[in-house]
Amino acid sequence: MSAVLPAIEVGDLTKEFDGLRAVDRVSLAVAAGERRVLIGPNGAGKTTLFHCITGTLRPSAGRVALFGQDVTRLPEHRRTALGMGRTFQISNVFAELSLLENLVLAILGTDRRKWAPHAPVGAFEAVCRRAREGLGAVGLAHRAEQAARLLSYGERRQLELALALNSNPRVLFLDEPCAGLSPSERQRISRMIGALPRAITVVMIEHDMDVALGLADRVTVLHRGRVILEGTPAEVQANPEVRDVYFGHV
Amino acid sequence: MPRAGRIALALTALTAAVLLPQVAGPFWTGLVTQMYIFGLLALSVDLLLGHAGLFSLCHASFFAMAAYTTAILQVRYAVPTALAAPAGVLAGTLLALVLGLAVRTRGVYFILITIAFGYVVWGVAHRWSSFTGGDNGVTNVPFPAVGAWRVESHTEYYYLVLAVVLLCALGYRILVASPFGLALRGIKASETRMRSLGFACGLHLYAAFVVSGALASLAGVLYVYYNRFVNPVAASFPVSVEAALMAIIGGTGTIVGPFIGSWIMLGLRNWVSSFFALYASVMGLVFIAVVLWAPDGLVGLAGRLRARAQKAGAG
Amino acid sequence: MTSSAVLQAINGTSLAALLFLLASGFTLTFGLLRVVNMAHGAYYLLGGYVGLTVAERTGSFALAILGGGASIVVLGYLIDRFLIRHTGDNHLAQVLLTVGVAFVIGDVSLAVWGGDSLKVPVPVALRGAMELPGGLVYPTYRFVLILFGILVGAALWILYRKTQIGAVVRAGVDDREQVSATGINIDRLFALVSALASFLAGMAGVVGGAFLTLYPGADWEILVVALVVVIVGGLGSLEGAMLGALIVGLLDAYGRWLLPEFSYFVLFGPMAVLLLVRPRGIFGRDV
Repeated sequence: MSAVLPAIEVGDLTKEFDGLRAVDRVSLAVAAGERRVLIGPNGAGKTTLFHCITGTLRPSAGRVALFGQDVTRLPEHRRTALGMGRTFQISNVFAELSLLENLVLAILGTDRRKWAPHAPVGAFEAVCRRAREGLGAVGLAHRAEQAARLLSYGERRQLELALALNSNPRVLFLDEPCAGLSPSERQRISRMIGALPRAITVVMIEHDMDVALGLADRVTVLHRGRVILEGTPAEVQANPEVRDVYFGHV
Repeated sequence: MPRAGRIALALTALTAAVLLPQVAGPFWTGLVTQMYIFGLLALSVDLLLGHAGLFSLCHASFFAMAAYTTAILQVRYAVPTALAAPAGVLAGTLLALVLGLAVRTRGVYFILITIAFGYVVWGVAHRWSSFTGGDNGVTNVPFPAVGAWRVESHTEYYYLVLAVVLLCALGYRILVASPFGLALRGIKASETRMRSLGFACGLHLYAAFVVSGALASLAGVLYVYYNRFVNPVAASFPVSVEAALMAIIGGTGTIVGPFIGSWIMLGLRNWVSSFFALYASVMGLVFIAVVLWAPDGLVGLAGRLRARAQKAGAG
Repeated sequence: MTSSAVLQAINGTSLAALLFLLASGFTLTFGLLRVVNMAHGAYYLLGGYVGLTVAERTGSFALAILGGGASIVVLGYLIDRFLIRHTGDNHLAQVLLTVGVAFVIGDVSLAVWGGDSLKVPVPVALRGAMELPGGLVYPTYRFVLILFGILVGAALWILYRKTQIGAVVRAGVDDREQVSATGINIDRLFALVSALASFLAGMAGVVGGAFLTLYPGADWEILVVALVVVIVGGLGSLEGAMLGALIVGLLDAYGRWLLPEFSYFVLFGPMAVLLLVRPRGIFGRDV
């Protein structure tokens, strides 16, 4: 157990905006294969922490390691190449491109063929086949040729997830994948996340306590930029402090 | 349009292009040659504008750098075309490698910085008169000649330009449909998402900038052999901005668009300047009109007019 | 050698004063209105021509400055109101549109004032040269221009940093919605800043026309140098425009003196290097 490197290790990570600390000396370690859920009230710094871990933002201080490798100074695309994948809280898909093209880009991102200038995308048959499979996995195969802007809100969330899944991640960061979805769509997405192979470590921000507690191995509670508790779902639910800052406000 | 219809249209256009010098006089042949050349320049601008979402206003620099290099090598050092023409393209591309620095920035900053870069090149062409010939430029550029084969007339040159432009359009078509081209459209749509998928967006844009500069350089070489001289006007800001406008008028993100735009702009200029001295004003008004009434080009304008007609018909 | 170097420093500073007049308007309109107005160079040239005509008719330099500035305020308002406003936040459209406007203004000016270099007559009191401490002799006009630039810069800075209007404008640069929410008439504020920028550009044309002369093409030459000022200083920052103007003015003077054929490199090279390190300029922020 102790010999296995954690998938993600964050040490004393701090992010300040104009002197305001959005993330305040956060440390956490997520074991390989674990499902970790981050919860906390709005403004707790969850998304900012995500941005710092995946490289969208530069932390003001602290370290981030991926399977023991220090990635604190690496740009975002290099972290993706090393195995980080993420979704965005607000769907960030390529609206003007077709769904198939969306998926092709996700696959090519960690593939050297992304530089190929000499042949049309369609000539890369293996890539296109994988892209169709990826769409099929989220139930969007029948709309492959349509532009992503024509998707409904819920379908966009599914595409968002498909993009992250197809970027070849070893650690997947999901920023509120179920936000704004109907109960049936929620179930669908959380089933998909639950069905992911354990080879992929999942770190997820989630407000829906049913979804969160159903999926999580462990839960980390953030409040005002700090970790106030970490434990199993049962421990977290039983904790009076958490009830105060979190459940009390729902 | 169905595939058969498109092929028929392309064949008709090609036949017309091939027959043109036989049917029309030297004036039209010359004008259409220029339309091809500036269409190619506009196409190079559109690789960045229509696909990558970068609005460059320094493409006259690559165009002029190539034209000057070829002209100076041919005229002053009697270097044969087989070396002078590739050297021109190479010089323009090298300049693009340097000015490509601009992709460090986006949006307004990118626009302003490319304008400034464009001015440096113009300034050098204009002020370094001992080498560039100052405002007179370099004159008496011969027709291209490779070994025993030589271009003897503007008609023959027309065919050469047509062939080169067609080849470029073909290569361009493959490039924009390739993974590389798709990645550019991805960056235009969402750079944050592209980064999180593992793309080094800056490097991708830089590569596109250099390819685009190489294409503009090729247009510059074609231009100098047609024009037979080059002066600082070729490097000036109006050339850059008109090339961008051509792409916009015709419709960005397409291949025929920049050529249609080039035809419209050059045709308009020729026609207006034949009877009206203030043709720069007319060009200015075209800029304004395009922004106000046809921001997505003629293709977009046609679509909107059709929609309005349908609405009027329905109501 | 050393006295030449000092002379070039004064030359550069006087050019900086002029550049500041133009760049401050450009940078403020961008900062507050998010408008990129490429017609700023044309405003400069046209303001200069109008001032020239006023000076020739009345013999008054002060009236020339007022006339040049005021005419551009009117023109600028019309262009803002009837053209630029239609572009919304689309910078590409703004650039194309205002380039078109600049072409028209430049072309019409050529038709009216002709293609020769014209010089706005300097008032008698400012003609000739003066002796500076240390025995240097320097044109009086350009020396006064430095003082004028400092005066305008100080006035703008006080207006921007120390007054209520300035506070609102600064808040508007940071967050436009917030200012709208306070109930301040943001349209009137925009019009005010826009008018100020236009006046500065027109005035700069008169002041600059008295030593750089006015000619077709001067509009773009000065605009591009002003753009470098703005790029170096940081788009949207008044302090950036001050520092940028000084850097660019000095670089230009020394460049012209030491490497006349490559003075453009001297001017733009440092900009390129700065770009590598700080893509948004010295005082620039993410927008």
